[in-house]
Amino acid sequence: MKLTVDKRWNLIERISGKTVTFGKYRHTLKDAVGELTVKPLTGIPVAIAVLYGFWSVFCSFAGTLCTDGFLVKLFDVHWLTWIQASFPGKGSWLYYILVGDPLADNCFEAFGVLTSGLFVPFGVVLPAVFIFYLMLTLLEDIGYMPRLAVLIDTVLHKIGLHGYAIVPTVLSLGCNVPAVTATRILETRKERFIMMTLLAIFIPCGAQLGIMQEVIPDTMGLILLYLLIGYFIFGFVLNKIIPGRCPEILIDVPSYQMPTRRNVKRKVWMRTSGFLKTAVPFVLLGCLVVNVLYLAGVIRWLGDVLSPVFISWFGVPKETVGSLIAAFLRKDLAVAQLSAIEMTKYQMITSVVLVSIYFPCVATFVMMLKEGWRELLGSLGVLVAVVFLYGGLLHLIWTLMGVG
Amino acid sequence: MGKNNVGSVYFGILGVIALAFGIADLVVTIGGSSVCWGILEIPNEMFRGGWGGFIVLFAGVFYLSGVKNFSEIHQFSKAVMGSILIWIVAGCDIFAMITESIPGGEEGPWLNTLEGFLETYSPLYPPAIFLLPFSLVAIYYIRKRKQYGG
Repeated sequence: MKLTVDKRWNLIERISGKTVTFGKYRHTLKDAVGELTVKPLTGIPVAIAVLYGFWSVFCSFAGTLCTDGFLVKLFDVHWLTWIQASFPGKGSWLYYILVGDPLADNCFEAFGVLTSGLFVPFGVVLPAVFIFYLMLTLLEDIGYMPRLAVLIDTVLHKIGLHGYAIVPTVLSLGCNVPAVTATRILETRKERFIMMTLLAIFIPCGAQLGIMQEVIPDTMGLILLYLLIGYFIFGFVLNKIIPGRCPEILIDVPSYQMPTRRNVKRKVWMRTSGFLKTAVPFVLLGCLVVNVLYLAGVIRWLGDVLSPVFISWFGVPKETVGSLIAAFLRKDLAVAQLSAIEMTKYQMITSVVLVSIYFPCVATFVMMLKEGWRELLGSLGVLVAVVFLYGGLLHLIWTLMGVG
Repeated sequence: MGKNNVGSVYFGILGVIALAFGIADLVVTIGGSSVCWGILEIPNEMFRGGWGGFIVLFAGVFYLSGVKNFSEIHQFSKAVMGSILIWIVAGCDIFAMITESIPGGEEGPWLNTLEGFLETYSPLYPPAIFLLPFSLVAIYYIRKRKQYGG
């Protein structure tokens, strides 16, 4: 049967008349609230409030309740004293590697595989990563993340990215490893390169944030501010010098909805267990390698060789070399190690910024390699330049302020 | 006076108070020392006073901007958003109290004593906690709208 165009349209009209109900769409409260969170004028204060809530719950749960409330006591008062007293061969190299400093009164300073190596991932980082992923999952499942992507789109275009870059950026605050994978949602090679480089350099992971909150809570805000400024400055520069295009995005923003318990449980478990599998072996390995290097005198030698760079250019003690080596394995471990080195507040800020922007941890390094060796080499080139520029700049600022 | 006019006046007054609390929070943070008035404490810390105060101030702005033509859904949603901002700040303050009240402290037992636990919840309270019960009136209006299919 062949129908003419008119007959076909008539048929469509008859079918739609019987099956489709026409009416005027009425905005619901959900729609109206959703619009408020997307428009810049109203959306930015809401985003600031969401960040406030995120950060406040993170600090209260991970810092006050879990780590300071119970785990510091468990590890420092019970575990450390027990293992220091009962581990055989005090003074031997095996004791030094596994238990660490026999005179240490806390697990941060002991730096043995069985003391700091267990305290850092389970005592400090695990609560931080758990609460981070729980809140991130809630925001995703409620439907706030796509709105944040729309809201921040204009700002991110200035650094060659688009709104969806907020997904790897926020994920990176939990762990850089899944964040590197998440850069695949960006369309062009230029965008992926910029994102990967920025997150490897300027975004501290949840583990590092947890440790910073524990050992340097007073200066943490300043450090994060420096990193944030660096993220935008170097993003802007990279956008100007790297050829390629940054396309616009079209996002389907879902309506707000109640998260389901099953989904939240599965996502949090998947992400937290993924973190444990990636982090714990590297923390233990990090303690082992750094202790062996200390015993072999390699770190002292490296400290002496690199002392002109560290003291004159960065303005930090040469002992930070050990932390930078540990940073390649785990950055949280490196920050923990820095806390045991005697230095001024400003040297501490520079050191922690250096640890953050210095080489990505080995797990992230492997993930970046999977994305392509050219991208990895490019990122590393940018990284070396950033470390020297930014580290030197901080030293210059402190010197001009008279505190360097 | 209709229900919507009552709502309009109510959220207008709440908006002015929230705005005043927000400004006070910011001024005290910049000024440098906490201010106590009865059981109210305006903290001078950068995080709760500065950042939190900024949010309370915006809650006030949201309430006030939603006052005109309150029954219209987009205007009403501004009052709801003002309340959501208050819930975030007050919720975080309460959660911080809860996390402080459970552990027994560095030298003490694992769990806090009953006195220590209850002491954490005693005054002084920050401004957002004072605004919290008044902001819950938004729920009443949400339910009312639902009843009438709004």
